[in-house]
Amino acid sequence: MVTINVNGARREVQAPGDTPLLYVLRNDLLLTGPQFGCGLAQCGACSVLIDGKEVRSCITALSDVGTDQEITTLEGLPGRWAKQKGLSQEEAKNTLHPVQHAWIEEQTPQCGFCQNGMMIKATELLESNSNPTPEQIKAAYTTSGISPILCRCGTYKAVMESVQRAAAIMAKGR
Amino acid sequence: MATRSTNSIDVFGATLTRRQFVKTSGILAVGVSVVGTSPLRGDTPKGTVAKNSLDPSLASSWLEIHPNGTVTIRTGKNDFGQGSVYTAYRQIVAEELSVPFEAITTVVTGSTDQTPDGGGSFGFLNDGTPNLRKVAAYTYQALLDLAATKLGVPKDKLTVKDGVASGGGKDISYGDLIKGQQLSLTIPVKGDLTNIIGLTVDGNPPMKPVSEYTVIGKSFPSSAIREKVSAKANWATDVRLPGMLHGRIVHPKTLGSTLISAGKLDKVKFPSAQVIVKQNLVGVVAPTEWEAIQAAQQVAAETKWTDWKGLPGTAKLYQYLKKESDWTSTPVMKSGATKGDTAAALASAKKKLSATYQLSYMKHAPIGPTMAIGDVQADGMVHIHTHNQNPQELRGEIAKMLGTTIDKVVVHIYPGPGHYGRSNGGNAGAEDEAVILSQAVGKPVRVQWMRADDIQWSTQSPASFSDVELAVDDQGKLAAFQIDHYMPAMQDDRLVGAVLAGLPTTPAPDVRGDFVTSTVNNISDEWLYAQAPNVIERGHGTFQVGQKASPIAVGLRDHSMRTPVQFQQNYPRELAISEAAVLAGADAIQFRIDNLKEERAIGVLKTVRESSGWDVRPSPKPGVATTGKEPVRGRGVSLMLRDGTYWACVCHIAVTPDTGVIKVEKCTFAVDPGVIINPTHLKRHVEGGAMMGISMALLEEVTIDESGVTQDDWNSYPILTMADIPEIKVELIPNPKVGKYGGGSEAANALAAPAIAAAFYDATGKAIRRLPMKPAYVLEALKA
Repeated sequence: MVTINVNGARREVQAPGDTPLLYVLRNDLLLTGPQFGCGLAQCGACSVLIDGKEVRSCITALSDVGTDQEITTLEGLPGRWAKQKGLSQEEAKNTLHPVQHAWIEEQTPQCGFCQNGMMIKATELLESNSNPTPEQIKAAYTTSGISPILCRCGTYKAVMESVQRAAAIMAKGR
Repeated sequence: MATRSTNSIDVFGATLTRRQFVKTSGILAVGVSVVGTSPLRGDTPKGTVAKNSLDPSLASSWLEIHPNGTVTIRTGKNDFGQGSVYTAYRQIVAEELSVPFEAITTVVTGSTDQTPDGGGSFGFLNDGTPNLRKVAAYTYQALLDLAATKLGVPKDKLTVKDGVASGGGKDISYGDLIKGQQLSLTIPVKGDLTNIIGLTVDGNPPMKPVSEYTVIGKSFPSSAIREKVSAKANWATDVRLPGMLHGRIVHPKTLGSTLISAGKLDKVKFPSAQVIVKQNLVGVVAPTEWEAIQAAQQVAAETKWTDWKGLPGTAKLYQYLKKESDWTSTPVMKSGATKGDTAAALASAKKKLSATYQLSYMKHAPIGPTMAIGDVQADGMVHIHTHNQNPQELRGEIAKMLGTTIDKVVVHIYPGPGHYGRSNGGNAGAEDEAVILSQAVGKPVRVQWMRADDIQWSTQSPASFSDVELAVDDQGKLAAFQIDHYMPAMQDDRLVGAVLAGLPTTPAPDVRGDFVTSTVNNISDEWLYAQAPNVIERGHGTFQVGQKASPIAVGLRDHSMRTPVQFQQNYPRELAISEAAVLAGADAIQFRIDNLKEERAIGVLKTVRESSGWDVRPSPKPGVATTGKEPVRGRGVSLMLRDGTYWACVCHIAVTPDTGVIKVEKCTFAVDPGVIINPTHLKRHVEGGAMMGISMALLEEVTIDESGVTQDDWNSYPILTMADIPEIKVELIPNPKVGKYGGGSEAANALAAPAIAAAFYDATGKAIRRLPMKPAYVLEALKA
């Protein structure tokens, strides 16, 4: 039995320690925001935040996640924002993270399979840089992590515009 | 009260039947009578409906209007990122019914027991008349007839707004019109439910004039996007069935290997796993995904296969295609544009060009590898849960594989990664393997391909080449144009698991295949330069590379991929036209305009010239360089007509001669689809297609050795990243007088390659006639 901290809750998991976190999240905890894209940390479809840093859950062994580390999946983005803004639980239930709002307003996804990683990376970036330039956004998505975050449908421009919109939403604090 | 009176009226070739005083829920049932000549396939007698299918002669098959005024629509096409079924289709139906967009509250897509028409998820708008538009138009007329009777006002004196019919000072809503009645409308339909096209609604009901549109042309958001972004979507990858096992496939060592012996499972390490062997199909199943993955790796390492070397390898591929492939068994196709005496014009011309253009094998490369759950149940029912572009065709194929009938097969559809054409013939790879494993273990099995499976065992877009001979006259106009396109068969719809397991499946592409899986290479790139007096276009087809030599009949299996065939034909043509402009000493855009007649084609060129900041002059640019560390710059253009939409593209590029690296700095599109349904979504899809097109043009080449594909991940098969994207501008040109909706998304992929190659010539004075324009090939071109 391993205890991990996911989206603000402590969860007990019965899985071998070498199980990649991706399968624990998807199959044991039914948190299906992260997707299996390559299993090789080459695409970003499986990304989650661990202590605010974007990591690839497909190559992160369950045993490598510390009991006190905070895992945030796509499902946990609204709660993460609510906590940061000090919103009540009731308000938190009815909110989305500004990144999610921006992704809807910009009609960003096409097939959407990669967009989990795109939104996780946006969240990581905007928490450390509230107003990134286009070059900083490009760097975040290509050189800041273990590999670029890939989109086969070619939504990169939409993602860049969405990050900027999310920054504007966050600046307004809504 | 039971039905007591029945009457029928004719509605523009459809028939409205009304049985009154039924106190059940009122739903306007729009039914369908099958009048086509082609019987429904899959052992279903003509005119009857297989179980677990929607009766195409019933209202709810296509479109339901509920007593509260809301509307449900159903389509066999499903969403692969185009969004059309959640945006354009709702807008089209709302428009024809004269109801608000928001009234269409439910969109049912894909699943074979919940949608009526089948067909592939492509060509969403095509000739401007998707099935649902005609169904809505028939329904509207029927509603008008009902309203005329109810209100006692002649039909032609009625108007409808927001689902309320008015006339003679009276009005009634659709909901009230149908309440307490049982209505059915039969409309003509033709086609074959389980083939690639599916059923087509026939006839010509009156359509709302474009000038009266209020819903089409507005950028409504896609309801699917909110679900995906907020982690509420139920993806195919998320489906979990009770008792389900996870499966992985141990694919053969080469594309022609047969099984010698399957590896023995280490039962100590993997106590719950099982190995399943059916001829050359080896699968491993286990209760947990991680055990299945590890057990499959252990079994794979100990599985023995025969060796096979039957492919030419990348270095010799074009030589093989040119000299060793059989181009004579398949009839040569000629386009309708053929005119004049091209041979004589070429013989007598002073300014002429003869060149060959090459395209690589390319991968669809969905961001998630293919997966499916097969559930073969004890009573003979087969359920498949997956993400697929043609669920009804998959249903027919699975029935064929198992020797059963389509009434026993249900394909359930969920969102998933884009397939870009790979599953438009019914399969992406994992579906039949999941069914075979499920049948073997008597439990649902979820087969998920790993990334290497998906790169090495999927189909691909075929390599091809084209020979061009052209001439320009003394006035600088195109005098003769001859193009010969050579391409192996592009549509192999066989189930690969069935092939490996030795089970029945559709035949491999052959000379006498049906119209889709044939080796015939039709001319797909519509000729546009109508002023040219001498034109000949020929398509030459052949068999898939390695398929006949492979002991398991696999080899390099091909499949259509975004803008199929036309991509392979438009790239050489448009690049050759840019070279013809060079020959004529003319500006590449002006040269095109001077050889065109169609105003819409000229229109997109003028728009893209203006919007891109094109400098009018001949190529190459003065001061070109073929060596040096400093980038040199150029621009090129391309033009295409596809599915009723005119496209023009300008790419501005920088080439660094010493490294051979091309960077696209700006990409400008002009698009005239006729009627624009949803500007935001069209623009987003042009942007996306453009990026995928740049990726294909610069990076993508499937590399092979003599045994198979040598790539196995994203490092070895790289695609464009965000760092490489150019500035992109998209100019949408609304052209409502055309009166049709041209196709939107996929064509954008094709425009970049010929524009970038022409820009390369502009920048360097050197022709590059091979895709992809990766550094190694660029350096070769610079040295030539």
